[in-house]
Amino acid sequence: MTTTESTATAPADTLFERLAEVWAELEERLAQVPVLARLAEGTVTLDDYKRLLFNLRQQVVDGSPWISRAASSFDIDHFELRSAAIRHAEEEHRDYLMIERDYVAIGGSLDELRAGRKNLGSEALSGYMFHYADRPNPVGLLGAMFIIEGLGAQRAAGWAARFQEVLGLADNQVHFMTYHQQADSEHTGNLEAILTSGIIDDAGADEIVRCAQVVARLYALQLEELDR
Amino acid sequence: MGGTATAYLTGFGRYLPGDPVDNDGIVARLGGDDPVTERIRRRILDQNGIRQRHYALDEHGEPTELNEELAVKALRAALDDRGIDASELRMLACATTMGDMLVPGFASMVHGRLGGGPMQLLSASGVCASSLAALDAAVSKIRLGDHPRAAVVGSELPSRSLRQRRYEGIRAGMDAHFLRWMLSDGAGAVVVEFQPHPDRPSLRVDWVRQVSLAHEHEVCMRAGMTGEEAAVGGTWQDGSIAEADAAGMFLLRQDVGMLDDLARAGIRQFEELVDIGLVDVRHLDHVVCHYSTNAFRDVAFEALRRRIPTLDTERWFSNLETRGNTGSASIFIALEEAWRSGRFSPGETVLLAVPESGRFSFAFAHLTVVAPPDPEPAGQGAST
Repeated sequence: MTTTESTATAPADTLFERLAEVWAELEERLAQVPVLARLAEGTVTLDDYKRLLFNLRQQVVDGSPWISRAASSFDIDHFELRSAAIRHAEEEHRDYLMIERDYVAIGGSLDELRAGRKNLGSEALSGYMFHYADRPNPVGLLGAMFIIEGLGAQRAAGWAARFQEVLGLADNQVHFMTYHQQADSEHTGNLEAILTSGIIDDAGADEIVRCAQVVARLYALQLEELDR
Repeated sequence: MGGTATAYLTGFGRYLPGDPVDNDGIVARLGGDDPVTERIRRRILDQNGIRQRHYALDEHGEPTELNEELAVKALRAALDDRGIDASELRMLACATTMGDMLVPGFASMVHGRLGGGPMQLLSASGVCASSLAALDAAVSKIRLGDHPRAAVVGSELPSRSLRQRRYEGIRAGMDAHFLRWMLSDGAGAVVVEFQPHPDRPSLRVDWVRQVSLAHEHEVCMRAGMTGEEAAVGGTWQDGSIAEADAAGMFLLRQDVGMLDDLARAGIRQFEELVDIGLVDVRHLDHVVCHYSTNAFRDVAFEALRRRIPTLDTERWFSNLETRGNTGSASIFIALEEAWRSGRFSPGETVLLAVPESGRFSFAFAHLTVVAPPDPEPAGQGAST
């Protein structure tokens, strides 16, 4: 994923180029998200970080379940994808505990966090993922992974460092975001291997791009709709 | 990225039981009205300069409270000062010379009485410097990001064991009398957090340092043993309690002949802080120093002034004369009073100094007064 050319002049864009375009659009949108804008300009508050963790937790707790559901929707002809999904679900399914640790470490109440509900964006995102995972051979979900893991690998650690810098947080208070830089880098590496393995046909590529577009929009929505 | 958070003192509390007791009111509580004891007491009081103190004893010398109650009252005062509840604490570090009972640890009893939720505990035992050992532990955990909020308390209730009935028939020389007429009761507490107080100044903890020189000094302050060296079979736990009592093992004693050494060693420790740059004498604004007796006030003050020529009595704080020597509680009781007096301004630095005679320990903490953070920017919560 490097540079992206205008689609108008390059109708035969590769899947990577098309995904890069979705990514670029997501980055532009994220810059407008209020909490991330405050983070960038250094006016973010501890309460912002706390709310962000609170909101993320309610959706992250669903991450492994939708990946598991997707795993069960792949037939034997998609054995490699099923294997990858099973592995990935296992790796992700304790991630929300890291958010809980961070939340408690900054003074949040575990009971309140666990009693929380999803915000409007998280509802939409989670609903879409479960719905999509129910489809037979949901190859398009590779697009969802491209977005979600990409955020973890490329943005989360930067957010963590900036929160630490602005709010004076210890490493022990930003586990979730820093962990994802390593873990999701591995995942995106695995993802690239799958995308270039030749098992994705043109229809599959279209599905992947479409799913990436939807997830990118819904993920940003989740960050925009904190507490709503 | 530093990787650690910063620790701030955001709430201050103290509890001193009962009304202040002046020098004439001591005998009614502690007894010892024979002419010899009277003479010794007057001499010691002249030396230590303490004019009033507090005892958790009524006017007949009967105990009115437990040490753990003093600790809890100081903690509640600190929590109220910060405007939070005990349920918001994740750690409690308690310093005391002697709890109310032998087992369990003092912090367990304080936590049980204080309430709140699950929390990490530390019972720091020792003598005066255990206060800053407890502070250091809490500050370290805050800086690691393990806990958002902790409380530290130093608490002492020696008066009940300084009463005449404990001295009857026991050979008690100057080593026992010195402390008997010096120590008194009280508790002081602070709240430690990883963020400054939202709308008041806080004290940022820059560092805490504690060093023991027990490797080159004999025991100076002691109870539970005879003589100056621990010996197998010679502690209060070896024989019967009556035998240990008869041997005077339950009297708190101090080898007063070692105190000049203690003062010299403490000054060397301070000099070292200056030499290695932990204390910048050009930017040290306040000193809150614990000392057992006024005899050491001038020694310590003059020694510090050799390195800090601008140090004057305005920048030097002690409340020994009016609150007494409350051991591990004293540094927090002094800090609380200094803080409340309004003498600290944002940007200024404060050095806490606590020498401990026990077996030569020295603890220091360096604090910086920080203003409350800027009010939250407008436009906050755009998505609500």
